Amino acid sequence: MLLCAACTKPYLGVKIPFKATWGDTEISCADKDVQLSDLRIYLSSVQLLDGAGNVRSVDLHTDIPWQQSDLALIDLEDGKGACRDGTSDSYAYLVGSVPPGDYAGLRFTVGVPFDRNHANPLNAAAPLDDPAMHWHWRSGYKFVRAGVTTADDGFWIHLGSAGCQGTVQNISSCRFPNRVVVELPGFVPNEDVVAINLKALFDGIDLTDGIANDCSSGPAEAACLAPFAALGLEFTTGDLTGQQQVFSIGR
Amino acid sequence: MKKLALIGMLLVAVATAFFLYFRESAYEWSLPPDLPPPAVPDDNPMTEAKIELGRWLFYDTRLSGNKTMSCASCHIQALAFTDGKRRSIGSTGEIHPRSSMSLVNVAYASRLTWANPLLDRLEDQALTPLLGDNPVEMGFGDHAEELAALLQTEANYRALTAAAFPADENPYSLLNGVRAISAFIRTIVSFDSPYDRYMAGDEAALNAAETRGMELFFSERLECFHCHGGFNLSDSTTHLNSRVDAVGYHNTGLYNLDGEGAYPEDNTGLFDMTGERRDMGRFKAPSLRNIAVTAPYMHDGSIDDLADVIAHYERGGRLIEQGEYAGDGRLSPFKSEFVRGFELSDEERDDLIAFLNALTDQTVLTNTRFSNPHLN
Repeated sequence: MLLCAACTKPYLGVKIPFKATWGDTEISCADKDVQLSDLRIYLSSVQLLDGAGNVRSVDLHTDIPWQQSDLALIDLEDGKGACRDGTSDSYAYLVGSVPPGDYAGLRFTVGVPFDRNHANPLNAAAPLDDPAMHWHWRSGYKFVRAGVTTADDGFWIHLGSAGCQGTVQNISSCRFPNRVVVELPGFVPNEDVVAINLKALFDGIDLTDGIANDCSSGPAEAACLAPFAALGLEFTTGDLTGQQQVFSIGR
Repeated sequence: MKKLALIGMLLVAVATAFFLYFRESAYEWSLPPDLPPPAVPDDNPMTEAKIELGRWLFYDTRLSGNKTMSCASCHIQALAFTDGKRRSIGSTGEIHPRSSMSLVNVAYASRLTWANPLLDRLEDQALTPLLGDNPVEMGFGDHAEELAALLQTEANYRALTAAAFPADENPYSLLNGVRAISAFIRTIVSFDSPYDRYMAGDEAALNAAETRGMELFFSERLECFHCHGGFNLSDSTTHLNSRVDAVGYHNTGLYNLDGEGAYPEDNTGLFDMTGERRDMGRFKAPSLRNIAVTAPYMHDGSIDDLADVIAHYERGGRLIEQGEYAGDGRLSPFKSEFVRGFELSDEERDDLIAFLNALTDQTVLTNTRFSNPHLN
């Protein structure tokens, strides 16, 4: 009886779309003033929260190439314009199933779970099989590739675990995990959109001085301070200690 | 007649079996007696067929995004598989923060590259120059599937790949390509310098100046051998019978930007990997084999010749008087205890350089086993 109940359990299909913004304005790779140059993010442990305090994991559908059951690649660049180093495919939403409920809250982790993060990328299943998303010399994936270009300037960040110990085939731990847990209270699935605000991510970066800086999560990189703070990450430890300012509910 | 045909078929079968056995047979290392062979990963045993495939791939510019660059572009045999540049330049023109390292005897390196404690296998390291985008080296990241297609469709590669990976149902993959390149690179071993011949018992192999230079090199006064010691003249050396994981990273006082030991931000060495302040400016001591042909020197190619390298160690750290890198490396709090400085007479300096020149192995620089097969 119990087994049968489990296999016929009703579920709710949910779709969770994402969009890239500069402040309140949606941006793409072909905008005029501030252009998106890259935006690809690995998400894991996607959960919905209801008013009663219940937390339900979203079982992501695996019949699309950018999702595993608990992991997805959101890709908001299309390989055009300023995103010429990107891919033509775009993956702008998550789809999955949850037990029926009255949900008003979303939680997910920006990052790849430790075991899969440090497995051999040449044997990895989609969406972990894109070489551009792997950091062969640091071990692990770039959880976030994000960048913008302006007329004569720009900035990009590659966020991932750093300070890893062991050897590539046998990583024991990473001193700077650099995973961000995002919680968006009030988020209603199938209605709301997750807005990724790059203006907030790059708040404090001078995009008018003509010097295109970047951050690749190294401990000596002063250019990482601003985006790490915007993500709520403590730069000197890689721990999540602050409130992230980058992800919000868009409509 | 029937009997003859049968015997003929039998002979063909035997010959084929013999050929296959040869192609799959374990590689015979050509090493001096008493020298242990390199350790080879269990999942990538050395075979002649695999090495041959790797040699073709090592020299193939189709392994770069814009088809202009092969592994050999930055690893030129005549330069002991370095490129002669201060800093290497990638296929799209990006300048690498580091200087190309020699591949000679890299099979004996316990860790790879200048300062990455995570990389102990060529199979893993190769992915960075091939696929990495910061900086772009070969720029093959968005083209990786082309390698599988090349191995499968071009007749020469198809045959080589099938012979190299006979047990694989589908041998045409990036992973197998990387395995083959790694196997080829492991065969680039060098033990035929005048110094090697001297060590093997031929006392005439080193002249008087070279012998005096050798004595200086291995003296406590100069301390060179603490980091550049052992049969491979590097303290980060391993082999099949190693029982310890020998890895050494050292700050040699090249920079001290802030009086507190800082190195240029794009080249902080081990610190960039660990985030530990004490690792600032620590880099691997490379093997000094063939050092005379691998100028310019140091991780960033910032010293032009061996005379200036020796001057740097004589002073016990480099003084940069002006510019963005100004600072006195001798005073760095992170400097190795073995870089204390010393004084040499002009003759001693000449002797030391003579010894370093005696580490050049002409065989490895010219052996056609390591040359470009596409040119034949």
